[in-house]
Amino acid sequence: MNQENEKYNKVINILKNSKPRLESTEDIQNEVIKRITSIHPFVSAFTGFLDFLFSWVYIGWVRRSLIAASVALVAIFVYQQGVILKRIDFLSRQTIVIGKENISDQTDQVEKILMNYKNEVRKLPLRTVTISEKQMNELIESVNELQLKYKDLEKLIEDDPEIKKLIEKKLNEINRTKI
Amino acid sequence: MIDLELIEQCRGGNFTNFRKLVELTSPFVFSVALRMLGNEDQARDVVQETLVTIWQKLEKIKTAEVYKTWIYRIVVNKCYDNMRRVKRNPEFNANEATWTMISNTVSQVPSAELENREISEIITVLTQKLSSKQKAVFVLSDLEGMTNDEISEITGLSKTAVKANLYHARKSISEKVEKYL
Repeated sequence: MNQENEKYNKVINILKNSKPRLESTEDIQNEVIKRITSIHPFVSAFTGFLDFLFSWVYIGWVRRSLIAASVALVAIFVYQQGVILKRIDFLSRQTIVIGKENISDQTDQVEKILMNYKNEVRKLPLRTVTISEKQMNELIESVNELQLKYKDLEKLIEDDPEIKKLIEKKLNEINRTKI
Repeated sequence: MIDLELIEQCRGGNFTNFRKLVELTSPFVFSVALRMLGNEDQARDVVQETLVTIWQKLEKIKTAEVYKTWIYRIVVNKCYDNMRRVKRNPEFNANEATWTMISNTVSQVPSAELENREISEIITVLTQKLSSKQKAVFVLSDLEGMTNDEISEITGLSKTAVKANLYHARKSISEKVEKYL
């Protein structure tokens, strides 16, 4: 055992005393300076950021795996956020209807009906009916205008018994024809 | 001697001072790399990679005392990476002639200075069966003369793991020395 140790110590001492000599250090200096100056600042900043995050991991493949996993997680997170935002954007364009009541604060009956109609239209396939918000507002305005004119007409008919009588007669004729 | 002033000047982007730092640092970086890898060309590559990393991360150094430990950590990690890369290469098998040559070299030079090529050959043959951790612990402890605490700090291994790896490394090398020399 002692002989074994003696041999071991002899070999180790020789190796320990023989310091490896680095020749042509000038070449190494130049090569290193060349490499340092050729590193792009963005790449350097990016690797610096990764090192800041993962410098506590000493084992190369573990560090690379962690970097890959974190990049994948960030990509998934960004994708999910994109999907969620798209969905929120879609939902924000929808009118919320609880039962038959529209939560819109417009009290006008015609507008309620039109909004319900709008919702019904949404249930149809997208290619069948396409109507924009602007068009819908124009429609509501024109219906309101029509209703006002209808009220004026009603008043006019009420005021003039002859016209009223004539209209009633005409309506009775129409009903009879239908039957 | 590396002092904080020199490191500070290098941080400012001064290449002249960095050349001085390279001059002071590269010999012991090369020493560790050659002893761990047993290949001069690979050791020179590791020296370059280590120096580039030093330049990039120089702002992390707060005191000159931690500088050497920090560099040892970088060079050991670079050697690990290098060992993983060249692992696929066919393993070097020492034959009878190689052992005779090593035996002659060791017996002819009782107290001294081997050439880089001879150091590489002897270390390659002796540490052939060791894992990268065992190799690192052996080189840092028995050839670079570091304490277990320092090795633990450099390699990230616990002190118990350092001792265990060193024991296995010494045992394996001792067996080879006894058998072939």
